[in-house]
Amino acid sequence: MLQLIVAGLTVGSGYALVALGLHIILRATRVMNFAQGEFTVIGGLIALTLMQTFHATSLLALIGATLCGFVLGLAFERFVLRPAGRAGEMGVTIATVGTVFVLLYGHALVPDWGSLPQPLPAFTGSVSDAFVVGGVTIQIQSLWIFVLLLVALAALYAFFECTYYGKAIRAAANNPLGARLVGIDVTAARAVSVGLAIALAAYGGTILGPITLVGGAGGVAIAIKGFVGAIVGGLDSPVGCVVGGLLVGIVEKLLQSLLGASSADPAVYSLLLLMLLVRPQGLFGARGALRD
Amino acid sequence: MLLEVRDLSAGYGALDVLRGIDLEVGAGELVAVLGANGAGKSTLLRAISRYDVDVRAGSITFDGGDALRSTTERLVRRGALQVPEGRQLFSELSVDDNLRLGAYVTDRRALASDLAAIYARFPQLAARRRQTAFALSGGEQQMLAIGRALMAKPKLLMLDEPSTGLAPQIVEQIFGIVAELTRAGVAVLLVEQNAYLTLRHADRAYVLEHGAVALHDTAARLAADARVQAIYLGGHPESAP
Amino acid sequence: MIDRLRADARILPVIAVIVALCGVLFHGDATFVQAATYAAMWAIAAIGLSLLLGNVNQISLGQAGFFAIGAYAVAYCMDDTSLPFWLGAIVGIALASLVGIALGFIALRFRGHYLAMATLAFGLIVQGLFHQTAALGGASGFTDLPIAKFGPLGLSGSVGYAFAWLAALLVGALSLNLLRGRTGTAFETIRNDELAAEVIGVPTRRYKIVAFAYAGALAGAAGAIYAPLVGVVVPDALGVILSINFLLMVVLGGAGGVSGAIVGAIAIGFLDVAGHQFENWREVAYGLLVIAIVVVAPGGLIGLLRRPRRRAAPARSSAGRALTEPSRPAEPRAVASPAAIPLELRGVTKRFGGLVAVDDVSFALAPGTLTSLIGPNGAGKTTLFNAICGIGRLSAGTIRVGGITVTGWQPHRIATLGVGRTFQNARLFGEMTVLENVVAGAFRIERTGFASDLLGLPAAARARRDAIERGRETLARLGLEHVAGTYAKELAFGDRRRVELARAIAAEPWLLLLDEPAAGLNAQERETLQRDLLALRDRGVTLLLIEHDMRLVMAISERVTVLDFGRTIADGAPGAVRSDPHVVAAYLGTAS
Repeated sequence: MLQLIVAGLTVGSGYALVALGLHIILRATRVMNFAQGEFTVIGGLIALTLMQTFHATSLLALIGATLCGFVLGLAFERFVLRPAGRAGEMGVTIATVGTVFVLLYGHALVPDWGSLPQPLPAFTGSVSDAFVVGGVTIQIQSLWIFVLLLVALAALYAFFECTYYGKAIRAAANNPLGARLVGIDVTAARAVSVGLAIALAAYGGTILGPITLVGGAGGVAIAIKGFVGAIVGGLDSPVGCVVGGLLVGIVEKLLQSLLGASSADPAVYSLLLLMLLVRPQGLFGARGALRD
Repeated sequence: MLLEVRDLSAGYGALDVLRGIDLEVGAGELVAVLGANGAGKSTLLRAISRYDVDVRAGSITFDGGDALRSTTERLVRRGALQVPEGRQLFSELSVDDNLRLGAYVTDRRALASDLAAIYARFPQLAARRRQTAFALSGGEQQMLAIGRALMAKPKLLMLDEPSTGLAPQIVEQIFGIVAELTRAGVAVLLVEQNAYLTLRHADRAYVLEHGAVALHDTAARLAADARVQAIYLGGHPESAP
Repeated sequence: MIDRLRADARILPVIAVIVALCGVLFHGDATFVQAATYAAMWAIAAIGLSLLLGNVNQISLGQAGFFAIGAYAVAYCMDDTSLPFWLGAIVGIALASLVGIALGFIALRFRGHYLAMATLAFGLIVQGLFHQTAALGGASGFTDLPIAKFGPLGLSGSVGYAFAWLAALLVGALSLNLLRGRTGTAFETIRNDELAAEVIGVPTRRYKIVAFAYAGALAGAAGAIYAPLVGVVVPDALGVILSINFLLMVVLGGAGGVSGAIVGAIAIGFLDVAGHQFENWREVAYGLLVIAIVVVAPGGLIGLLRRPRRRAAPARSSAGRALTEPSRPAEPRAVASPAAIPLELRGVTKRFGGLVAVDDVSFALAPGTLTSLIGPNGAGKTTLFNAICGIGRLSAGTIRVGGITVTGWQPHRIATLGVGRTFQNARLFGEMTVLENVVAGAFRIERTGFASDLLGLPAAARARRDAIERGRETLARLGLEHVAGTYAKELAFGDRRRVELARAIAAEPWLLLLDEPAAGLNAQERETLQRDLLALRDRGVTLLLIEHDMRLVMAISERVTVLDFGRTIADGAPGAVRSDPHVVAAYLGTAS
């Protein structure tokens, strides 16, 4: 049981990062990014290339993939979200769905990537390195994942809560008109937010790469489970998104052991629907944030 | 004149609101814009701050420069600040953060002392500096909005109906701050519904009706002019009710 | 909307001819026949989604779920029980419709991307359920289904092609009937402005559910045809990717209406087969295409092909032509006696959190009178109007319209009693022509039901013609015939207000609520408005106005009620109110 929880927290860390990225983009652009999962996959693949072709260390690959994610995010905002914004909220939603297709099938076309999942080297030693505590086996890579998750959360917290520019970005999302009247460039703020969200996705794909593998068609499932996490925890609460993501990971592992691997997924999606019906603002969210 | 509006016609899409407005505000003056709802008062301020309004004709000059070709953000940088209808505070951020962000366009070296000065002027805000803006009362929010605008060292301060929903003492406090500002040389353009109170404090006033300037005079003379009431409550401006 | 419908009506027969010709010419080319048959099946599902997305503005990323229901129903019947194909199809479609109704109820609670997520989850759950159900073949589903038979004909090859396309064209024609009738009007009003739709009597919730059920039924029908024609029903093929493919077809072809969906389905169907070896490139291209279309050509391929029919709005507004008497007698009133009190408020209070917007307001209107509601900014006037129309719940008090208590009623129910309303910012249905707007205004009078619309029954067609005739008359009464064909979003401002007034009186209401009808009008337009309002009053309509134009108010009102801070501070004849010191203080403040 405890073993399942550890496994759940491991994979849940990935969902937590996806959910947090969704939250950031939603705050900044009022749009649900259906392609968040695909960016996660791409991030992992970029790290793979950095490590294989450029012989980067794990740490450098992580930094590199995250930076690439940031740039991809800027491009995504500038060339997809912003122009599609003229077509209204429905238009942007559809554009992100289109982006899913582009990335999902497009990444398979890159020579070294292909369409099958590949393993990313573990950050230290090998993937199977583990230690046992109280009958529970914990992979070293899992520890890395937890630590790096905390690092990311700490960095984001520091940025948004303690830096002047971070607060300016929050202000721009909170009240665009008010921000303009104070002289903040709201468009630039939005672009940075999207960049950060995609950087987060790439970061998540990389740190989970050794365990869940990089590449493949798993992007849609990751995105959906990230959604579930965000809805369960509360789309408008960053803490909620992280907690929700971790919870979904745990629930998934528990359901998998109970119902078998293939039944777990529909059960998780039912959880989404149930949550949307019963408490759409999530565990930590505020009421009325839904009808937008 | 710090702000010069000449023959301004503006509106929203197919709707024409302002028709040929002439208006000016000089440094150290408190100029009021009065009129009934729908007369175009807020539209005028939005046109000057360059947001949401389509300007069809005329010119707006601020501090010697063409405002029509500028943007909201650049005008803020040049010292034209607005405290808009609804205040537009950052509801999720603290009082302190709201004020700090007010100084976004300045070089922020003197941020700490500027902030201290604002807190000295608005003790109610100092008491609540860590609270989120959302939690403040109406009066405190108005103080915060004005304080935030002051952090940018405005040359021109525009206020859109600051007295809405506020208790008389707070309204007096606001007029007190405005008087301090004009004494310090700031130009203040004030849009208000509460005509008589505003005329007591202002230097000059314009009364708008259906998007055009119906009356323009010193505040003292307008306060005694029966046409003002006629404009607000129907009846021909030439005849007293 | 009318332009798009007319285009649809012209294109559909063209498609039919092309399909027939191609069928004859290429019947020997197996690849063509296969691709074209797939296209037909996709088209049926795409038409449903096109209606849902393009006509009612609701997104669904779960249409594959309904498709699967139809496919499995048929597969089960044919494989396990050897029942005839058409029985399985009926069961499948019925089941899909019921599930569609359920999804519609759920969908009422969400908008935009939340709706997308909810429908996505739905599709995944359905797929997952089928995946897990051993009785339905589990992960491998049904393979090697027998060929369905219609008498001596086997449903495969060219026969399958003909069958699939007949079905698709039939669905297209029925859907077009639906769109051209009262149901289509209801959909379009919901898409343009839900609030305005409610206020003219459209039960928006009901129609949204209908739209979901219809889209579900169509996707189910497509699945029902797919099963016997393809012979294989595998859960993995009926998941998210299929749902997104349907979305692709609709966006590519042009959402809304019928021909866009068919064109999109044909395009994707053929590209899928033609580009078979370029699998990944093809899908990337689809994705880029979708983004490009959203950004550049939101109307899809059909939108590009159609010559936009731009009739420039006349520069002059129609001010100067006053309201004339209708040539027909007024419709029978929905409420008991003309002497009943048209509107009565008792203790009406509306709170928003800690703020009291309307505070214990009570008054009653005398029939056939014109009353104005005035007060400074934020006094609660529009909130009061909204409360009377059923928009938002009251915190306390009761409202009676024509003697009937309507507290807590939905806006469309109150409208159906005979209440008309205009809004502060003229909420017209921008993507509809002026005539369509006014015809929509008489929604509650036109009584056609869904089934009549769908089947294009003569009664429905007659009711439509009557409605259009009535609409033209209403326009003529207000001197607006010359803008009948202009799209509402292109009107000059003065005409916008007048068209909204026309829409509000189209159903001959006996109580009319007008929110700032004079705002933004020039002097001549205000004079015309004044005459119109008095003419309506003289016909016996009870009018309640919110206005800021004091000269207008003083000139035409028999009675003036003044609100300040949500409370009534004066109520009586205009002259008395104007010089009431409380009113003066409320508007101009006091000098002390």
